[in-house]
Amino acid sequence: MKTLKNYLYISAALVLLAGCKPSFETPKANKGTADFTRYIAVGNSLTAGYADGGLYLEGQQNSYPSIIAKQMALVGGGKFTQPLFTEAQANGSGYLKLTGFTPTGSPITTTVTENTAVRDQVTIPGFGNVILYAKYSGDINNYGVPGIKLQQIMYAPYGNLNGYFERLLPGAPPTNSTTYLDFVTAKDFTFFTDWLGNNDALGYATSGGAADALTDKTQFAQLYTLSIAKLTEKGAKGAVATIPDVTAIPYFNTVTVGAILAGVQKANPAVKDIYISARASADIATTTYAPRAATAADLVVLTFPSSKIGQMVNSPAGMVPYGLTPYAPIDNQYVLDANEIALTKDYVTDYNKTIKAAAAAKGLAVFDAFTFLNEIKAHGILIDGVSANSNYISGGIFSLDGVHLTPRGYAMVANEYIKAINKTYNASIPTVNISNYRGVKFPN
Amino acid sequence: MKKLLLLLMWLSPAIIYAQGFQVNLNGQKQIGMGHTGTGLLQDGASIAFNPGAVAMLPENYIQAGISPLLFKSGFSGAGTNDLAFTKNRVATPFNAYGVWGPKNARWKVGMGIYTPFGGLTDWGNNWQGKYVLESLDLKSIFFQPTVSYKLTDYLSIGGGFIYNYATVDLQRAIPISDPDGNTGQARLKGHGKGYGWNAGVFIKASPEFTIGLNYRSEVKTTIKNGDAMFSVAKSAQANFPQPNTFEAGIPLPQTASIGFGYAASPKLLLALDANYVGWHSYKELAFDYASNTPALQDTHSPRNYKDAYSVRGGAQYKTCDKMAVRLGGGYTTTAVKDGYVTPEVPDANRYYLTAGFGYKVTNKLDLDFSFEYEHLFSRTQTNIESNLSGTFKSNVYIPGVSLAYHW
Repeated sequence: MKTLKNYLYISAALVLLAGCKPSFETPKANKGTADFTRYIAVGNSLTAGYADGGLYLEGQQNSYPSIIAKQMALVGGGKFTQPLFTEAQANGSGYLKLTGFTPTGSPITTTVTENTAVRDQVTIPGFGNVILYAKYSGDINNYGVPGIKLQQIMYAPYGNLNGYFERLLPGAPPTNSTTYLDFVTAKDFTFFTDWLGNNDALGYATSGGAADALTDKTQFAQLYTLSIAKLTEKGAKGAVATIPDVTAIPYFNTVTVGAILAGVQKANPAVKDIYISARASADIATTTYAPRAATAADLVVLTFPSSKIGQMVNSPAGMVPYGLTPYAPIDNQYVLDANEIALTKDYVTDYNKTIKAAAAAKGLAVFDAFTFLNEIKAHGILIDGVSANSNYISGGIFSLDGVHLTPRGYAMVANEYIKAINKTYNASIPTVNISNYRGVKFPN
Repeated sequence: MKKLLLLLMWLSPAIIYAQGFQVNLNGQKQIGMGHTGTGLLQDGASIAFNPGAVAMLPENYIQAGISPLLFKSGFSGAGTNDLAFTKNRVATPFNAYGVWGPKNARWKVGMGIYTPFGGLTDWGNNWQGKYVLESLDLKSIFFQPTVSYKLTDYLSIGGGFIYNYATVDLQRAIPISDPDGNTGQARLKGHGKGYGWNAGVFIKASPEFTIGLNYRSEVKTTIKNGDAMFSVAKSAQANFPQPNTFEAGIPLPQTASIGFGYAASPKLLLALDANYVGWHSYKELAFDYASNTPALQDTHSPRNYKDAYSVRGGAQYKTCDKMAVRLGGGYTTTAVKDGYVTPEVPDANRYYLTAGFGYKVTNKLDLDFSFEYEHLFSRTQTNIESNLSGTFKSNVYIPGVSLAYHW
């Protein structure tokens, strides 16, 4: 029986062994030639974590800079603090929530208005109303300010005109006079990401070319070069991102001319065309608009109130159905027409040339968001069994406003930044698992 | 007018049952010797190893054994520093055989119930590949009535009919968030059946030297009317109609083996087996859902397995009349080509080492212990269907025990 006993001992030992997991020698994470002791994020709404048409706590917590910073911490990166809304005011500015679908499958969104951080509203003479939010006075690493254009970073009164910037400043409007660029560079930092410039084109595009203006190319180049010089003047390293093609976002690709026409034809098969007020030329100097029949090359904004179509409205030719005759075309603000698209694309291409040149001059990493999002629009993307694309809601990357991203989209952006940083600075910051981040929330 | 087609791509669930699912645990005495037995006359497990040998067995047998199996797999995602490990869940391959024939008759009949394929992998519901797989529990039980006939003193043949009863329970996450941010869940659960056969020839070339040849056919197994359960946020549920059923077919592969036994001395028995497993028959995995939607289409996933080969060797040494110690090992090539490795069974080339101990409780009762350790070589892969990219490493620990009564 002694052998049996020995056998039992051996078996017991082997069972203990069975508790062992396979071991992995993961390559040691390494910061390369960069220093992540104090990382700051410079940018607009995308940087702030804006999503679903608002800035709110969950979006801030999933901002791409916060994701990058968590990963940087694994290679010795420092503390990263965001100007978060409090739990009590978690809904921040308020945001859109998906509450259901119509019988035909169209999404129904509702604005969340409770538990916001709205503090007040002021009227700035010569500008208009500015909504103010609860002030934030702690440390800041994420300087993302929704709405800011590159054009505005040196504009001293801007802190009185943008409630998201105002909330980070100590003063009350109209006394603020610190420029954005001075504000973000006031405290020393070792690394930065910079994703400014989107709104210089996007503001024009989302207004259907009706309001706002494209920032002049030369002014863009001057300000961009100046801001990069300032950000790098004390030796900080960094990563910049290019500006996405505005036509790559679902804001312009969900409501289509074809779908509107098909809807009208269901009730009235005789209708052949819908009419828009279109820009006559893609030349910036020529600003005339004329009605014409819409084509698939014209993009309708996501927020177009489609119920307007066919309603009888006053026109020079008397009462006519809206959008169905050249006498009452769909208003300019709802359509980014083919010439406006060409114009915007030309500007974005030029801005991106500036960005890449400025980055190359300083040896900065570049996340080419333009290429990345166009690639996703063309082919979709498949990560860890999650299939994502640029479709509204179902695509999983874009949030309910059709412009900003979901946590899944922001996580992808963070990974692209990390890859660019690793490449440029010979670092090995680990990427994050996309499957830990959600797409659009569906109601029950 | 915001026309929304919820084309939420539903990727095919993957059932893979590579070598990891060919569990090769058909008898404790044989496991101890590196899972050799095609060319041996150990006990009733010959029904599985080589029905042709059954008529040569010196006695009648009733026996049963169990081999609790712990599959420890780990995954390291490419570029990340996150590691995932399978949970400690124990699969229970078992074997039971009965062999009977009149004393000195040329024939014997038998019945075998054994589990040549199966697997249990549970990665949990919060790992990088959760949208590919959370867990898979696949069981396959072969029932094999067998007859064997001794043509001459040195040659016997035998064959059996196989009825396979299989169950599958697969779970994965669906990338649709509910209002609380929870993901959707899919579960495919069902059972099915298949048929095949198993035949062999056994040759006593000399009193010391024996040879066995065995062929086990492909067992095409079909799961019909399995439950396809999908739970997602209610507003998206219409894309995944409930209740729903699925049908899927899995071709369990044909196996051909040759085995040799050599009694080097009355105390020392040596064995060598070589196997061919015809995995090439597993070309694609198709799921046919009873109710389809644009989001939930039938799926056809390429598998394109290649044939696998293994070589095993083992030895048994009788320390005295009552006791035997056994040792063995082997090497098996993977059936899964690069790009097709999935978390169900992160298959790879593997080696295994076995040990066993046999004790005669009485002249008619054998108590046998076995232990097997398998090591799968590390495999770094990007799956062509899911883009899940990273390194898999796996080890398998299989203790086992059996009782055999013979007369």
